[in-house]
Amino acid sequence: MAKTFPFAAIVGQDEMGMALQIVAVDPTVGGVLVLGDRGTGKSTAVRALADLLPPIDVVQACPYGCSPKDSSGACDACAELKQNGKVKTAKRPVPVVDLPLGATEDRVVGALDLEKALSQGVKKFAPGLLAQANRGFLYIDEVNLLEDHLVDLLIDVAASGENVVEREGLSVRHPAKFVLIGSGNPEEGELRPQLLDRFGLSVEVRTPQDLDIRVQVVKRRDAFDRDPEGFKAQWSDANTKLRQRILKAQKSLPALEIPDDLLHTCAKVCHALGTDGLRAELTLMRATRAFAALSGAKKVSATHLRKIAPLALRHRLRRNPLDDTGSGERVQRCLQEVLG
Amino acid sequence: MRDAWDLAQLALLLLQVDPHSLGGVWLKAGYSPARQTWLAQLHALGLPVTRMPHHIDQERMLGGIDLSVTLAQGRVVEQMGLLAQADQGLVVVPMSEKLSPQTLAMLLQAHDQGQVHALAIGATHASRFGLVALDESQEDEPGVASKLKERLALWINIDAVDIAKSQEKIEHLSAHELAEVRALLVKIQPKEEEMRALCEVAFALGIDSMRAPLLALRLACVHAAIHDRAFLEEEDLRIAAQMVLSPRAISMPYNQDTESVPSPEPTPQPDTSNTEQDAEQEDAPTPPTTEPESLVDTILAAALASLPPKLLDQLLLGASKSKLQSSSGNSGQAHMSRQRGRPLSPRLGRPTSGARLHLLATLRAAAPKQKLRTKHAGQKIAIRTEDFYIQRFAHKAASCIIVAMDASGSAALARLAEAKGAVEILLQQSYARRDSVCVIAFRGAQAQTLLPATRSLVRAKKALAGLPGGGGTPIALALKHATEQAQALQRQGITPLLVMLSDGKANVTIDGVGGRTQAQADALQWAKQWATHGFTSLWIDTAVQPTGQAQELANVMQGRYLPMPYVASQRLADAMQFAHAR
Repeated sequence: MAKTFPFAAIVGQDEMGMALQIVAVDPTVGGVLVLGDRGTGKSTAVRALADLLPPIDVVQACPYGCSPKDSSGACDACAELKQNGKVKTAKRPVPVVDLPLGATEDRVVGALDLEKALSQGVKKFAPGLLAQANRGFLYIDEVNLLEDHLVDLLIDVAASGENVVEREGLSVRHPAKFVLIGSGNPEEGELRPQLLDRFGLSVEVRTPQDLDIRVQVVKRRDAFDRDPEGFKAQWSDANTKLRQRILKAQKSLPALEIPDDLLHTCAKVCHALGTDGLRAELTLMRATRAFAALSGAKKVSATHLRKIAPLALRHRLRRNPLDDTGSGERVQRCLQEVLG
Repeated sequence: MRDAWDLAQLALLLLQVDPHSLGGVWLKAGYSPARQTWLAQLHALGLPVTRMPHHIDQERMLGGIDLSVTLAQGRVVEQMGLLAQADQGLVVVPMSEKLSPQTLAMLLQAHDQGQVHALAIGATHASRFGLVALDESQEDEPGVASKLKERLALWINIDAVDIAKSQEKIEHLSAHELAEVRALLVKIQPKEEEMRALCEVAFALGIDSMRAPLLALRLACVHAAIHDRAFLEEEDLRIAAQMVLSPRAISMPYNQDTESVPSPEPTPQPDTSNTEQDAEQEDAPTPPTTEPESLVDTILAAALASLPPKLLDQLLLGASKSKLQSSSGNSGQAHMSRQRGRPLSPRLGRPTSGARLHLLATLRAAAPKQKLRTKHAGQKIAIRTEDFYIQRFAHKAASCIIVAMDASGSAALARLAEAKGAVEILLQQSYARRDSVCVIAFRGAQAQTLLPATRSLVRAKKALAGLPGGGGTPIALALKHATEQAQALQRQGITPLLVMLSDGKANVTIDGVGGRTQAQADALQWAKQWATHGFTSLWIDTAVQPTGQAQELANVMQGRYLPMPYVASQRLADAMQFAHAR
């Protein structure tokens, strides 16, 4: 396992950090799309997520890492375990799975277990990356360069939360609920609108323009490269604090209500910007609520909305040939008009 | 002052000590004795050296199932990939400018993470290697992808090194020395002021990526260790700035420091976007620094002294930061195809409707399942339709240059002749590249296609020669016409590129009537239309005294802008390359 940089030690990428924390608090917000220049620490931040999140309870021996509390019966492996007797619970870190660009379909959706097929002549399913990512994060670096057939596959699974395998004489379905995290440099290729839509939030990262911050980045990265273990130990307190904050937010989330007038505002903003469908409104609402929970607020307010709206909406705007302002600014302008 | 060859020799030593953390080398050199000498020395370093051809397939690169052994033994046997085999060593990529985006992405992912995932098996192996990217691209070709270059600390160009010079060879470290240097390297703790100095120099040179100062810092440490020191000295930082930072410089430093530094070249007048940014940087409150200014000054001086000569030209051309380097090393958009082009990885599918069966991949898919399947008598291998893999290809699309000539009265006759000359150079260029050309002329109340897309140079020249001048300037009409042409070309799978030759002083509206204000508004609107399609463009301002109108339009079109006074023949050709490389 490659060593990961501590999340708390990341400097200068506040918006990206915030977006990742929001989806950690409420995975139903959807994925995060990180767009930006090279060498800005996109991958570093996403890979750091794994250390940040508290371990989850899983059904032992379930290849999909289902929750013991899950009684939906969507998982065949769990159902089988239950039939055979007691189900044991184990703790496991939240998975952050890297989907390499060159991954084959087999590797992603899962395929026939080659070892078993060869040695024992048994037909068995070997779960792929989608199974591994269940209840966690699936990270695709350079998502805009992903091959088309993999994009099709992801679009389907990300929407249904279930991976259906009908190939090689296998017929398997298993839960695959994950938060999709993509990063890329928009200059190298466009994202298909359908895939764009699967991302709840989008953030733009740039190299910090402040010299002090740059020096900090270099200093910390150098310290980490030199002694990864020591550096992680040094940051473990700060990381724990951040983890507590996320845990607390997760707990307070169900009790957090959104006032009706704020819901109206959400709808108005989305309408004024001409975003398609209800998904935008739903994402905006959920992300705002998760952000309020993270800030430790008792009530969701317009301040939270104002902060989150650009992240939740800017990648959903239609391109307007007669308006060349950035989409983030357009969202801000619209908020200004609606909120007054 | 060290010259290119000395730096190339030093690079060998640095690479020997720490191939992975330094990223590697970008060696820009044609086939020459100097290059051969350098490569021979590289092989003699004692590190495992693996050559990776640019057309390598995924399976070989990342590792996968060893087909023959798997079939023979009846159990899955893994074949190590090339990148895993190269762990702790060097991967040499000849003609790295030709790497496909997919291959490049996989290579860099393995390089970044220091580990590689084998295909179909899911095994993970360490792959901490250094990259040696050989670049043989010509002046007029898109070079190595910038995302590859940016990860490599050492940028070396030994094209100009003569044979005599290349006889001066450096002695590499013995195994014993190497162990000592590496032990020392671990102990070096750079001071904050040293990091700050490198960051400041990178900042002053307009380098945005955070990788640059990090790689420079790493290089400084390795350099210190080689010289048997457990701390950094000014010399280490100077070398780091010279080798890592100055080749990446985007802009000349504009603060007062520059005046005290004897600049090797006259300070150029870069394009406005750079000036603006520099202005912003100057406006930003500079944090109080405790370290002596002189450290930054001397390092900056070292970096400036070795600025690449080409930089000035690039700045003059107004190449914006992101567009300076090609993104993928490909011109023309790649299209997927089932029949022809460069092979892509095969995928599951039926060999119908023109798709060809990929025999090897099919066998590979069938191999592990042989025990499961009952075979008929005499049958050696049972292959089912579910095993079928099909071949896929990507082929590069052709491109077409649309030349839009302003033949109105404002484009004075002398300028028109000059513009025609420029277009001829351009046509020769495109002819060498096997692009086709389409010529549009506009004046008065109309824009017309003078010559539909053709590969005939002679016809294009004739069409231009007979072009009369005079009348108003209908920019909007011209852009509308060009957009329509571009769309039509794109539908045929051809990538369009517009070269606009005009002063940008629109005075005829889209409806063909006079009126300066409305005409300019129309022009802007159609420029935006052009930009929304994402087509590439190059605007050559033919005005004797550019007024900024053409530049504004070019910016709106998100294209390149080039004032005529700079259109010397070679520069124009370069500009074309830049526009193409996008």
